[in-house]
Amino acid sequence: MSLWQYVAERWDRLSLQAWLHVSGVVQCVILAAIIGVAVGVLVYRSSAGSAIATALSSTILTIPSFALLGLLIPIVGLGVTPSVIALTLYGLLPIVRNTIVGLAGVDPAVSDAAKGIGMSRVGVLSRVELRLAWPAILTGMRVSAQMLMGIAVIAAYAKGFGLGSEVFSGLTRAGSANSLNQALAGTLGVVILALILDGIFVLISRLTVPRGIRD
Amino acid sequence: MTETLDQPTEQGVSGAEIRLEKVTKKYPNTAAPAVEEFSMTIPAGKVVVFVGPSGCGKTTTMRMINRMVEPTSGVITIGGQDALSLDADELRRGIGYAIQQAGLFPHYTVAQNIAVVPGLLKWDKKRIDARVEEMMDLVGLDPGTFAKRLPRQLSGGQQQRVGVARALAADPPVLLMDEPFGAVDPITRGNLQDELLRLQSELGKTIVFVTHDFDEAVKLGDKIAVLGDRSSIQQYDTPDAILANPANDTVAGFVGAGASLKQLTLMRVRDVQYHTDEVLAVGDHERPAAVAEKLTKAGRVYALVLDARKRPQRWVHVRELAGRQDLSTVGKPVGDSVSVQSTLQDALEAILTEGGRAVVTGNRGELLGTIDIDTVTSVIANVREEHAGDEA
Amino acid sequence: MTAVAEGLAGISETRSFEEKPSVARRSDRIRLFIQPIAVVVIVAAVLTWVLAGDLNANESETLNLPTILTLTGQHILITLVVSVLVVVIAVPLGIALTRPALKWLSPVFLAIANIGQAAPALGVIVLFFLWTGIEGLWAVSIPLIFYTLLPVLRNTMVGIQQVDRSLIDAGRGIGMSASGVLFKVELPLAVPLILAGLRTALVLAVGTATLAFFVNGGGLGELIDTGYKLQLNSVMYVGAVLAIGLALLVDWLGGMAEVWLSPKGASE
Repeated sequence: MSLWQYVAERWDRLSLQAWLHVSGVVQCVILAAIIGVAVGVLVYRSSAGSAIATALSSTILTIPSFALLGLLIPIVGLGVTPSVIALTLYGLLPIVRNTIVGLAGVDPAVSDAAKGIGMSRVGVLSRVELRLAWPAILTGMRVSAQMLMGIAVIAAYAKGFGLGSEVFSGLTRAGSANSLNQALAGTLGVVILALILDGIFVLISRLTVPRGIRD
Repeated sequence: MTETLDQPTEQGVSGAEIRLEKVTKKYPNTAAPAVEEFSMTIPAGKVVVFVGPSGCGKTTTMRMINRMVEPTSGVITIGGQDALSLDADELRRGIGYAIQQAGLFPHYTVAQNIAVVPGLLKWDKKRIDARVEEMMDLVGLDPGTFAKRLPRQLSGGQQQRVGVARALAADPPVLLMDEPFGAVDPITRGNLQDELLRLQSELGKTIVFVTHDFDEAVKLGDKIAVLGDRSSIQQYDTPDAILANPANDTVAGFVGAGASLKQLTLMRVRDVQYHTDEVLAVGDHERPAAVAEKLTKAGRVYALVLDARKRPQRWVHVRELAGRQDLSTVGKPVGDSVSVQSTLQDALEAILTEGGRAVVTGNRGELLGTIDIDTVTSVIANVREEHAGDEA
Repeated sequence: MTAVAEGLAGISETRSFEEKPSVARRSDRIRLFIQPIAVVVIVAAVLTWVLAGDLNANESETLNLPTILTLTGQHILITLVVSVLVVVIAVPLGIALTRPALKWLSPVFLAIANIGQAAPALGVIVLFFLWTGIEGLWAVSIPLIFYTLLPVLRNTMVGIQQVDRSLIDAGRGIGMSASGVLFKVELPLAVPLILAGLRTALVLAVGTATLAFFVNGGGLGELIDTGYKLQLNSVMYVGAVLAIGLALLVDWLGGMAEVWLSPKGASE
C-alpha cells in the first residue's frame, strides 16, 4: 500500500490526531506565553534577575524531554497532564528570553515620555513597553511553537495526544504491513503542520505588529 | 623580494619609483571600465595622494599596484621591475599596506600583528622581535606597555599606528595607504598625519595615499593626483600648483572654496619677504621723551619696545609717551607673534588679531621684522602668476 | 530528543532580537557555575540511594551498578560518535561551502539541513530503523548525525562569513596566501561560533540518545522505559535523573570548551 492510499484510508483518525497535535501545541504555547511574559515583566528591570531567568530557562531546555517525562509520569500519571507540563516548560525559554530582550530594548526615552505625560506604571507597561516588545515576544512564541511540535511527538509516549502516537504504534508494529506508512504519516504530518503553523505566525505578526515598528 | 625592489635612488630615499602605463581595469558585465588607460609615474621617495569623489576608481587604481585588483591590461613596474610577472603574494610582502580602521587581526596581539609580514618572509625569531620593538618605537607606542595588548584594548588612533607599523615592518620600499585615517576623530587624525610626515622625513618611502579629503591631500602630498570618473587624471601636480591654478572645473570643485586660504597653509613665513625696517624698535631702557623724538624724526606714530634680549614687548603710540618717566608700562603688550616657521595661515591670523601687522620673531624670540596683510596678498598673487603658465 | 532540537531553525531567527551582552554573559556564567554543582549533587544523591540498597527484588534487578554503568556508557558512546562525526563532516563542509568556487551550493545544503532539522527527531530515528532494519548504536547515530549537522554546519559558515571583509583584505594585502588567510584569520575568528554550534550539537546528541533504546541502542532512556513498563517509579526516577545529569554535564563541558578554546580577542 502506498503512503497516499494509507493516508486516504485512515484520514479520519489521522486528521483527528493532527488536530489534537496542533491544538495541544498551540494551547501550551499560549500557556507558556502567559507565564513567560509574566516572568519577563517581573525580572526585566534587574539585570541579575534577567540573567537568572535566562539561565534557568536555558537549563530547562538542556534537559532531554524523554527524561523529563520520566520524572513527570510517576508524579502526575499518564495522559494529557505530563504532556502539557513538559510542553509548557520547554516553551518558556524562547518566550522569557525574548520578553526580556524586547522589554529591555524599549528606548528609555519612550517610557520616560509616557510617564511624563501622566501614564501610570501599569499604563506605561501595558500601553507602551509591551506593545513595543510585542514583535520580540511573538517571535519567541513562534520559536516555541516550532520546538513543541517536535517534542509533542515524544510526549505521546505517556499516552499523550497527537501524531506522536502514530510514530509509536508504527514502531511497535515494526515488520507488519503498514508500520512504515504509519510512522511516515506521523512524521511527515508533523513537518507539514509545523510549516503551516509557522505561516500562521507570520500572518499574525503582519496583522498585529504596529506599522511604526515593523522593519 | 624586498631586496630586489629596495634600490635607493638618492640620499635618504628608500622608496622605489612606481610606473603605471595604460593600466585598465574592466569588470565583467559592466559597460565602462572602472579604470581606463591610467598612466602615471610616482617618483621614488615621494608621497603621492590620489584624491577624488567616491566611486571614481582611485582605490581600485591603488589596489592594482599590489594586485589586490588584477589589471585587465597595462604595465606596472615598481623600481623597474614588472609587478605583474611576480607571484602576487610575494609581491605584496614587499609592499606595505595600510587600510581604513587598520584591519588589525583581533585575535593577535599588537606584537603578533606587526610580526605577520616578517614571519611570512621567514625572518628568524630574534630578528622579528627586534624589528617589532623598533617599529613600535617608531610609531610612538611603548613596547613594554603595548606589545601584549589585543587590538580591542587600543584606541582608534593607537590601532592606526599599529596598522602603519605592520605595513612598515618588513621595510618595504613602497607603502599603499587607503584612507588610513578616515575612521578616527579630527584631532587624532591631525596627529596621525603629523606623525606620518615625521616618519616619512626619516624613511623616504614611496607612498601612495588614497583619500577623499582634499585638505588631507594638501597636508600630506608631495604631489596630488585629482581623479575623475574611471580614474581619469584631472590634474597631477604639487599641492601648491593645484591650489593656485586648478586645471579645470572638476579640480576647482574639488579644491573647493578657500583655495587661497589653503595655499597659505603650504607656505611659511621664512619663505616670504617680510618687512625688516617698517617699525621703529627701541630698547626698554630708553627715556620716553627720546623715543617720542625719534618717532617724530622718522615720521612714525608707533614704536615697538624690546627687552634686553631684543624680544618684542609692547607697542607704544607717540601720544602715550607724553609725561611718562619710563617705557615699562606704556602702551599695549604684543599679543600674537609669529615665528619664521609659522605658516602664512598662522601669520594671517596674527595679523588680523593684532590689527594689521604682526611681529616676526626668530628661534630665540628675538625680533626679526614684521609682516602685514599686503605681504600675504602679494604672495598669493605671485603664486597665481607663477602657475598661470602651467597649463598653456 | 532534547527540546533544543526542533527549535533551532527558529531560534536563529530570534537573532534579530539580541540580548544585552551583559545579561547573556551573566546568564552563561551562572550556568557554568551552577550546572556542575547540580550534576554532582544529583548523581551523588541518586547513586547513594540506589546503592544503599533499599530496593525490592524487581528494582534491584535493574538498578545495579553494572547495568547503570553499561547504559551510561552506551549513552556517552552515542553522544561521542554523533558529535565527533558531526564535527568531522560539518566543519570541513562548512569551510568548503564558503569558498568562492562552492558558494553557490551553500543555500542548497542549508535548505537540506534545515528541512532535516524541522522533522521530529524521534520520527527520523524510527523511520531510519523501519527502512533499513539496522539496530543499535548506528541505528540511532546515523539519523542523529544528519539531524545535528545543521548547528555546526551553519555556525561554521556564518562564523567564516561574519569575519570582517577588511581583515581578509588586510591579510591578502600584506601578502598572506588565500589558505594562509583561511587558517590564520578566518578560521580562528570563526572558532567561537563553531564551538557554540558544537555545544548545541552535543546537547542535541546527548538528549536524543535517550531515545536510542527505541531502536535497541541502549542508553539511559532504557531505564525510564523499563521503569514505565514494570511500573517501577524508582527506576524511572534514576533513569531520568541520570539522563538529565549527563545532559547538564555535557552542556557544561561544551560551555567550558567555548570559554577555553576560543582565541582571545576573537569574540567581543
